[in-house]
Amino acid sequence: MRLEPAGASLTSESANGAVNAEAWRRGELAEWHRRRLLERKLHDGAAMRASALVLRLGVLRELVPDGNAPLLEGIDDVQDELHLMLDELREVAAQIYPPLLEEAGLVPALRELVTQLDAPVRVIAGPHAQTRFGDAEPAIYFGLADGLAAAARSGRPVEIVLRPAVSAGGRELLVSVTGVGPEVGEALLDRVQALGGTVESGETTEVRVPCE
Amino acid sequence: MLLQAAGHEVVAVAAGGDELRELLATTPADVAVLDIRMPPEPDGGLTTAERLREVNPEMGLLFLSHYAESHYLMRILRIGTESIGYRLKEKIGSVEALSDTLARIEAGEIVIEPVLAKRLVDRPGAQRKDAVATLSERELDVLRLMAEGRSNGGIAAQLFVSAKAVEKHIASIFTKLDLHPDASVNHRRVLAVLRYLRSQRDED
Repeated sequence: MRLEPAGASLTSESANGAVNAEAWRRGELAEWHRRRLLERKLHDGAAMRASALVLRLGVLRELVPDGNAPLLEGIDDVQDELHLMLDELREVAAQIYPPLLEEAGLVPALRELVTQLDAPVRVIAGPHAQTRFGDAEPAIYFGLADGLAAAARSGRPVEIVLRPAVSAGGRELLVSVTGVGPEVGEALLDRVQALGGTVESGETTEVRVPCE
Repeated sequence: MLLQAAGHEVVAVAAGGDELRELLATTPADVAVLDIRMPPEPDGGLTTAERLREVNPEMGLLFLSHYAESHYLMRILRIGTESIGYRLKEKIGSVEALSDTLARIEAGEIVIEPVLAKRLVDRPGAQRKDAVATLSERELDVLRLMAEGRSNGGIAAQLFVSAKAVEKHIASIFTKLDLHPDASVNHRRVLAVLRYLRSQRDED
């Protein structure tokens, strides 16, 4: 079954439809760009500052005179709090835009994601583990992150297969997901339709997304 | 500053990987401390480390990062499996933690951020593939601590068992993972850890 986007027909053949689709695609790409900048800002600003503070406190701790246990404990507590704060900042950053997705690409970022899920999920990319998939990367990553959170609760084994393909329209990324319910297809459709991608839901959820 | 407070001598400081390599060509050092995201971007710390290891295999390498990711751990272990470490910046924020990390690297160990080793070993729902699946819970505990780069004594202390018991578990792990007895013990430890980490990921 081919999943159709909700609302107006955005695949309309009319000139107006084409203009809308292009505007929609550009809007989506601008949104990913904005997220990358925001993540970078969080890392270079608040996170760097907090981790520098941990080290400065470590230096101050050495200046504490012998026997001043309350002060030492106080410094340890503040360092512990900063550790928690950094963990929280990392969590937020990963939800904005995982740094690994930008630095290393879709396959490494998905593998990192599934190691943190409480479910048996395999990511299979054959020889394409290092391949970059351009604009399709954040769409697939976030679609799967949203969809798998629900699928993970069922505890069923999930397989995600990624491979590049070439169609008349140019380069495409094909993603097949087995072992999941329709919610994964819906989550993926939300993300890929702006880029002109399609989702077929059935025994296997099949996604095609143009990249570049 | 923290390095000095811990009594270590900082022989050289550089803003980027290329400058660091130049400095270390003339100044001997025991351990080089690198940031994965240092210039030349985007993962200049890794390429710098590869070259440093080529030129001077004796020198320890410590990677500090804001993120603990298994992707980078795999790349680091490809650079070397001895005298190498990967830790979160903020977790070496005390003289003890920093000195302990540096001392273990100098002694030839691998030091891996505990939270990362734990995450890789503890995937609860994951199917543990092949030989690793045959390990007992206790053996997995031991392997997890090995993945953190702990020595036998360190593992024994963590698990509240004798060093003899740890040796027995490790021998059993080596057998179950079918690791050749003619390789050195240290080499087999590393292989066991790698086999384990790989079983947790899908490298296909």
